[in-house]
Amino acid sequence: MVDHILSILIFFPVVAALFGVIVHKDSIRAYGIAVSVIEFALSLWLWFAFDGQSSGMQFMESIPLIPAFGINYTLGVDGISVFIIILSTFVTLIGIASLGEIKNLKNMIITLLVLQMTMSGVFAALDAIIFYVFWELSLVPMLYIIGAWGGPLRIYASIKFFLYTFAGSLVMLVGMLFMAYFYNQATGEWSFAILDWYRLILPENLQLWLFVAFFLGFAIKVPMFPFHTWLPYAHGQAPTIGSVILAAILLKMGTYAFIRFSLPLFPDASVFFMYPIAVIAIIMVIYTAMVAYGQKDIKQVIAYSSISHMGIIIIGTFALNVEGISGSVFLMLGHGVVAGALFFLVGVIYDRRHTKIMSEFGGLAHSMPRYATIFGVMMMASVGMPLTINFVGEFLSLLGFFKQSQILTLLAGVGIIVGAIYMLTAYKKLFFGEITNEENRNLPDINKRELVALIPLTFLAIWLGVYPKPVLDPINTSVESIVQLMHDKAQTAEAKRRIPSPLSQMTIPVSSIEEAH
Amino acid sequence: MEKYLYIALFAPLVSSLFSALFTATPKKTFTGIIASLLIFSAFVSSSILLTHILGGGEPIHVEMMTWMATGDLYIPFGFVVDEISVTMMMVVTLVSTVVHIYSIGYMDHDKGFNRFFSYLSAFVFSMMILVMSDNYAGLFIGWEGVGLCSWLLIGFWFHKESATWAANEAFIMNRIADLGMLVGLFLIYWNTGTLQYEGSFAAFAHLDTTTLSWIGIFLFIGAMGKSAQFPLHTWLADAMEGPTPVSALIHAATMVTAGVYLVVRSNELYSLIPHVGLFIASLGAFVAIFAASMALVNRDMKRVIAYSTLSQLGYMFAAAGLGAYWVALFHLMAHAFFKALLFLGAGNVMHAMHDELDPFKMGGLKKVMKWTYIMMTFASVALAGLFPLAGFFSKDTILEAAFAEHHFVIYSVLLFTAGLTAFYSFRLTALIFEGEERYKLFGIHPHEAYKYMLVAMSPLLILAIIAGAFRTTFFGMVEEILGAMEYHIHSHVTLWIMTIGTQVFVILAIMYAYKKYNNAKITVPDGTSAMENSFMYKLLLNQYYIPYAYEKYIVVPYREMSEVFWTHVDLKIVDASVDGIAGIIYNTGDRTSAMQSGNLSTMLKWMVAGLLGMLSLAVVFGLAVRYSDEILAILSGLGV
Repeated sequence: MVDHILSILIFFPVVAALFGVIVHKDSIRAYGIAVSVIEFALSLWLWFAFDGQSSGMQFMESIPLIPAFGINYTLGVDGISVFIIILSTFVTLIGIASLGEIKNLKNMIITLLVLQMTMSGVFAALDAIIFYVFWELSLVPMLYIIGAWGGPLRIYASIKFFLYTFAGSLVMLVGMLFMAYFYNQATGEWSFAILDWYRLILPENLQLWLFVAFFLGFAIKVPMFPFHTWLPYAHGQAPTIGSVILAAILLKMGTYAFIRFSLPLFPDASVFFMYPIAVIAIIMVIYTAMVAYGQKDIKQVIAYSSISHMGIIIIGTFALNVEGISGSVFLMLGHGVVAGALFFLVGVIYDRRHTKIMSEFGGLAHSMPRYATIFGVMMMASVGMPLTINFVGEFLSLLGFFKQSQILTLLAGVGIIVGAIYMLTAYKKLFFGEITNEENRNLPDINKRELVALIPLTFLAIWLGVYPKPVLDPINTSVESIVQLMHDKAQTAEAKRRIPSPLSQMTIPVSSIEEAH
Repeated sequence: MEKYLYIALFAPLVSSLFSALFTATPKKTFTGIIASLLIFSAFVSSSILLTHILGGGEPIHVEMMTWMATGDLYIPFGFVVDEISVTMMMVVTLVSTVVHIYSIGYMDHDKGFNRFFSYLSAFVFSMMILVMSDNYAGLFIGWEGVGLCSWLLIGFWFHKESATWAANEAFIMNRIADLGMLVGLFLIYWNTGTLQYEGSFAAFAHLDTTTLSWIGIFLFIGAMGKSAQFPLHTWLADAMEGPTPVSALIHAATMVTAGVYLVVRSNELYSLIPHVGLFIASLGAFVAIFAASMALVNRDMKRVIAYSTLSQLGYMFAAAGLGAYWVALFHLMAHAFFKALLFLGAGNVMHAMHDELDPFKMGGLKKVMKWTYIMMTFASVALAGLFPLAGFFSKDTILEAAFAEHHFVIYSVLLFTAGLTAFYSFRLTALIFEGEERYKLFGIHPHEAYKYMLVAMSPLLILAIIAGAFRTTFFGMVEEILGAMEYHIHSHVTLWIMTIGTQVFVILAIMYAYKKYNNAKITVPDGTSAMENSFMYKLLLNQYYIPYAYEKYIVVPYREMSEVFWTHVDLKIVDASVDGIAGIIYNTGDRTSAMQSGNLSTMLKWMVAGLLGMLSLAVVFGLAVRYSDEILAILSGLGV
């Protein structure tokens, strides 16, 4: 069974969703929780069976689909994808477990289970076509979640979300088709397998074009400036559960794809585009943080803060060394936990007051002390307090990029200042001061159902901040092999220099300093 | 010995978590008592470690577990107890114990009693991590941790707008400095391959001066935030919004000295870059006089003491910058004792006066608050640096160091500041305790603090008096690790003239302050006197208009720019162009959809039009190909 665990992880939820159609609506909640518990347990088993010392792909499965064009159903995970899959099952579980009383609960749970399938699929796929299929399929449940359960502007927001990301993905698809065509030209065979593509060394100018094609698809998904404007609408209109999954998992598809495709396939182009992308990332970090500060709606603050944090992830990815990429992968998980929790927290007051405008609140720390505490912990995690999950990722991402450019890192580091500004200001507006609005005086504090979601997230945010080793070690192993691959494939001298080989650099560079003198 | 290290480190954490259990319940005195006992146990453990180190024992070094490890980076949770950290541990745990016990009385009537102890102990834990870590990353954990606790405690009374505002200001301003510190850490890592003190210190010797200078500068930027050096100083005075025990512990004795600790800890770095050291010393001397000048006229008791702290931090940086690390550390220790005492005394006065802070509205309190009066007077004498109290030994050595190193400008500035210090300290004590009982006008009935609070303060009183006696022992302890040396002024006569001259100058300043403020004519200023309308007075009272400038030229523009970025750039440019493109596509489809309305005659018309268009294009191209040579000739004739 463990040989097919990835297929089970992908298709179990969708099969369960199909059966869910015939489950009575009074028992659908229990059914949904049971399914997602099993799914989560399976993903934990995946982690348990996963060998953290091995850098290659594990639990690989392959079934030919269209042999004439080398399209196979190929799955596999390494240290990078395995944790994102676990995070996705975890977030789905707590998301379903903490769902409030909403209309059409049954449809929502079925949609979420289908969404779970696409998420596992994207991160487990090792064939470009399979990857693309899941990548696009994931839009559908989210379109439905925003469009059916969203706020007043939900139709506009969901269509914008769908068309925008879809348009980018089509360019990416053209890039993938060209990759396969080039593979065919080079080897005489067709293949869409990512691992086959890894072995291919492309001419530099071709790399540049393909990099741009893939970049468009990924950048819109991340979303990178200036392609980010769909996100505030999507978050603003989506129901709590939609925002949580969108922020925690769906955005990570873009950053994950950079590491899975762009870096190893196009190492020279990655070096070529490193500075432009870093500049975009810095704009994301500072500009969106300032926009976040200007918001009046607490959910929009968190939405824009997501973009700001994604900027740091991009910076870490394009550090092109082990420290930076490990940091960016870890920050993906960190941001998943923290942004997910913050959206949950916003949902808590929205359920009580049906407004998200910050000026409606104030002094909530008097009436909802427990809520204020958890929000405070998550806020501190969001601004990157050491010993919380985000610090590890941010620190390593910035540390990694510092090797490439000191000035740009300094600019990206401004994120820790502007991040504190919008978060602390928002927190002050919500929680501090006297209660000015009588409606806030007797708000019930956080309840058990909400704690089901928030306690595990809080625990994770602190546990992985204090002791990131169990997760960071496997990530490190896989990232080392990717960086080594990039180093070996790099053709230009510039790229060889920019991408250090992790295996040859085992010694502390002190000795090299001594030699230099 | 490792056992004691762990007790000293984790007892405060246990204390914090224990108190946190009761945050949702009404006041329980036992949380305060248990928290105090746990902090006291940390103090006892630190003392045992101190005797171990004093007895010539080896520094204790433990590595608990890995924190972060990826690529070549390896950061453990490692802790070291050596001469420097044990000094800091003693200061931190001693002052914390006193403040914890004192707070049981001070926070007696507060709803957030249990929460207060949870935060306070969390602060102690962070501070212990800061001083005990064996690497820069661990120091950074503590560094941010104390920042967080400071935010929590300044904003402890979160219903007050001013308190939460001050808390955010402190946090954000520290963050600015933390970025500098972070960059310093990155520089250290990429140049030495490690963040461990041991490894990086060893590697510093092989680096070129430019790199070292940048490392030194960025680390010092970090120190400037925590120690509130100019231009990041404004948060410290505003931080006085927090409860007074917090001001005593965090904003006088421990956290604000973290910057000094950082420089002292990195002494192997700074001794390689004396030019950066000189900058630090100059900035320190500047801050000393700058802050002291603001303390001269301020009418808020706590703010006066805060400026005095700032000024004394300047002294410490002046010493550290000149390479006199041991003197800086010694002054840090002595200062912690008498400044904490001064703040706690101020807390007693505040309680007695129902949170009144203006000393002009007090007066004559020595009759009702005899012990507070005695303690605050001794603390002020120590602060002024009169023989034989603690401040004399530490501050005088700084002056000697500046003189012996031939930095006469710094020396004169520091000497003059010593006079200012004496003046504002005794202006404050005279206004509070001497003269007419002006508080009667406001219908206040002051009372002395609880006995046990006074007893709790007494260790600080004793240390403020006798700490100077430890000078030789302390020197012997840190001599090796800090490369300490005694500063010898060549001629004995010079030394005597200097010492006595300073003492006389300080005594004159005290007498002047007493003469001016200990008389029956003092009234509550109403803004009409000539002095209050003078330019200098206004300049000093408004803190050189720096907070206004920050508000006007940084905070407001930032807010406005954020609004513009959102409403104009994000919505009107970025998003509007996306919607614009979508709109063009949509409208094109919308307008041209009439072509395919299904009406046969319309569609035929369009078909004919299309056919004609195609045909004419074909003709044009055909002709162009046939006559291409002629066309080229004509075009070249036209000079194209």
